[in-house]
Amino acid sequence: MFRRVVSPFQKLDPRVRLLVAMVFFVFSLLASTIGAVVLVLTAILLVAAVAKSLRRIGRTVAFSGLFAVFIFAVNLLFGLGLVNAILYSFRFLAIISSTSVFFVTTSPDELEQIMKWMRVPRDVVFAFVTAIRFIPVVMLDAFQIMDAQKSRGLEFERGNILRRVRNMVPILIPLVVNSVIRSGELAEAMESRAYGSTPRPTSLYAMRMRWYDVAVAAGSLLLLCVVTLYIYHFVSFTV
Amino acid sequence: MKALSDVSVTFGKGETVAIVGENGAGKTTLVRHANGLLKPTTGSVLVDGVDTRETTTATLSRKVGIAFQNPDHQLFSESVESEVRFALRNFGFAEDLVSKRLEWALNFFGLEQYRKSSPLVLSGGEKKRLTLACILAWDPEVVVLDEPTVGQDSLQKEKLAQIFRMLRSTGKTIVIVSHDVEFLWPIQPRLVVMSGGRVVADGEMSKIMADRELLEGARVTQPQLLRLYSGLLSRPTVPFLDVHEARDWVGGRKAGQEAR
Repeated sequence: MFRRVVSPFQKLDPRVRLLVAMVFFVFSLLASTIGAVVLVLTAILLVAAVAKSLRRIGRTVAFSGLFAVFIFAVNLLFGLGLVNAILYSFRFLAIISSTSVFFVTTSPDELEQIMKWMRVPRDVVFAFVTAIRFIPVVMLDAFQIMDAQKSRGLEFERGNILRRVRNMVPILIPLVVNSVIRSGELAEAMESRAYGSTPRPTSLYAMRMRWYDVAVAAGSLLLLCVVTLYIYHFVSFTV
Repeated sequence: MKALSDVSVTFGKGETVAIVGENGAGKTTLVRHANGLLKPTTGSVLVDGVDTRETTTATLSRKVGIAFQNPDHQLFSESVESEVRFALRNFGFAEDLVSKRLEWALNFFGLEQYRKSSPLVLSGGEKKRLTLACILAWDPEVVVLDEPTVGQDSLQKEKLAQIFRMLRSTGKTIVIVSHDVEFLWPIQPRLVVMSGGRVVADGEMSKIMADRELLEGARVTQPQLLRLYSGLLSRPTVPFLDVHEARDWVGGRKAGQEAR
């Protein structure tokens, strides 16, 4: 989840942050040995530290750990070997971390500007960004619903997997109903505030590239080119 | 940041207590400790001598029923009757007792006609009565009502007041969290005033409501009848509890003056 923090990384233009995240994403895919993936992961965590978001990225990585274990187990089960199983699970963690670095340091407003700059249709941009903005609201609703149902004797931790899944019904139904009602009310509020009346509305914020944005963007692209050429010239990328 | 600080309050059996205070005073946070939804970081919360940290919310909820402010946060069943049955089944009631309690709850709250209807299509007032029915169906010893009058029109408030009077007569311990001093004034519960996570007053409602300085600090308004009472040059020994009393007193005084 995005939180505004004063850091050199957050000072960068959001397009440059996206570029850095994409470069890390590509490195995660190109890395063909465990050492290389660990190097990429370390670089991502270093950037997260510069962005003062290490704890939040760390939580994302920890949460993804379960899926990484699943990937490890599946690869091992299908006879791909221990080394490949470790490689693919670490690669998964690197991919998740590279995208998290972008989303954790980019506000919904900046996300909106980037999507507009990419010429994504306005309605799609609005729907996407509003959905992200409402994640904390829906989460709060979910906690309140869980409290209300716990107060009626519902115990989520008890029972087998089937019972636990059934116990989610008293949470999901009110959550979905409330979300649908809220989206209808939001649509009415937006129409009452003339949304859609102008084909090209102006924007309160404008993105502007400064010298350090250009430097970081150029450096990232250069690094990407050098690494890619190195990999293709020397066949494998080893550390 | 502490939501509650140095709070020490006891609710006796059969007592009716109202907790009032500004937004963010900690009222809802306080009552959520009653059934273990929240556990204290320091100190303890005891319900009938049981520390809430040593038992589950489900176990405590059997004794403490909390009706939350927003009915839409708990209604999910296909019909009103299955909504009322939900908690009874969770608590392990036998089927014949479930049926008896269901009949009682639907009749008591005037919901018999909506038995087979979806709870989601009920009006705001009906949903509120349904959430109360769901809670009182399992007959908890303590009933906590979180902002029961929010979003309710005057007719629904009157119905709530009737339900409340009936509840009181059953000897249950009732705790109401509310901003609605007009609703609380005729009830005259023990009043607990909260501000900034602390209890700033605890006692008789008529005495606390007469302390304007305290009320200003806690951002609580005086009930209109008390303001009228305070503004009269000559007045009875106790404040008016309802409009009829005030009308009779003022009307009587006026008739006396005219006669002279």
